[in-house]
Amino acid sequence: MIVVRILLLVFFQAFFLRDVSPLGEWTRPEWTLWALLLIPPQANSFLKLTLGFAMGVGLDIAMGSYGHHMVAGTVLGGLLPALHRLFAPREGYEISDHPILRDMGSSWLVGLTFSAALIYHLALMLVSNWYWHLIPGALLPTLTSAVFTTLCCLVLHLMVYAPDRRKSSS
Amino acid sequence: MRNLWLLLQRNAFTLAFIALMAVSLSVLLRNDGAARSSWFKQTGAISYMIDHQRHGWSNYLRLAEQNAELAEENANLRSRLLSMDMATEWVEDTVRHWTVRSGMLIKGPDGKPRSPSIATPGLNGGIETGMGVLSGGAAFGTVEEVGEDHCRILTLMHSGTSWSCRIGRNGPVASLGWDGMDMGLLQLKDVPRHVQAVRGDSIFTSGYDLRFPPDVMMGTIFDVERQSGADFMSVSVVPTVDFKSSRHLDFLVHQADSERTALSSTEWQP
Repeated sequence: MIVVRILLLVFFQAFFLRDVSPLGEWTRPEWTLWALLLIPPQANSFLKLTLGFAMGVGLDIAMGSYGHHMVAGTVLGGLLPALHRLFAPREGYEISDHPILRDMGSSWLVGLTFSAALIYHLALMLVSNWYWHLIPGALLPTLTSAVFTTLCCLVLHLMVYAPDRRKSSS
Repeated sequence: MRNLWLLLQRNAFTLAFIALMAVSLSVLLRNDGAARSSWFKQTGAISYMIDHQRHGWSNYLRLAEQNAELAEENANLRSRLLSMDMATEWVEDTVRHWTVRSGMLIKGPDGKPRSPSIATPGLNGGIETGMGVLSGGAAFGTVEEVGEDHCRILTLMHSGTSWSCRIGRNGPVASLGWDGMDMGLLQLKDVPRHVQAVRGDSIFTSGYDLRFPPDVMMGTIFDVERQSGADFMSVSVVPTVDFKSSRHLDFLVHQADSERTALSSTEWQP
């Protein structure tokens, strides 16, 4: 299911949503991150790393970006277990916990999504600019893009896991 | 091996992360020109720094070896300098009435025990029998016979004669000759067993034979052999003059030669 979700989002981002950027480089969303963030926190670290790498490969193939997303996806996949540990509740994750608003709460969801988006955009910015003198100028657009990606992921999340749906399912 | 396996297992995630990052970066560097140039710029600077540091350490570690090489080279140069000082060219001695006339060697010694050497000038150039001859400031021989334009020289490399010499500037007087065997070695005769002589000592003219002034370089001691039961030791000497390459000669002229000859003869009465 996770793989299918990643493939679908890679497809949509590459062919339909890549131009959804209302303020140009200041708001460049990475929709596919949402699929990666739906990996359960209890999942194996290798799975997170592999799926992060696979997501990057998919995006690079689909968008022709020559390894930029591979690097960023691998960085995020490698740091995702640490992020999950960082945002873990005091008593730890339960076996039935899903990374959704209903189970983990809004602060967990917003915090994790923003952190992941920031890491991904920072890695992407580094491999896109490469030269140190270009990096300070790219920091602010990276930050705003991370915020915009967070918003997009939350919108997607609310669309798929809407509160009314949660009530009806429960 | 088991510990290594455990270590790998413990760090498997980190290793997998590094491997995937390496794959990603290699793809990126292969396809992105800007990334590639920046990467090589950064890694080039780092590799230069590492290489520079390594070179510095390598030089530091080789200091002892280089120091030994330099010391050896220094010793060799000092030795050469010393021998050059000793073989310094003879300066015309006007105080003691010695002057020189230049000449040219036409035929040098050929290694045979009694081979003659021929030079110019002869009588027309003021050359007389019995004059000492120098080559490069060192003793070469003496004029044996004089013609109009040429003269015959009895060199140190003639087995039929001997030369009065001194071991060192203030050492004992001995007789130098050639046994006709090896052209590169002369023999010191009549050196008493107790005399201090070691390899490297210089041999100078004594001046007693009236053909050369004293302290003209003749050679250097090559070997000293003290045979048991013998009163004299056998000393071999390397001549300073290279008889195979000598060309320019200096004929020694003493301004008061007739007076010396008269004084040295037994018939002279004051």
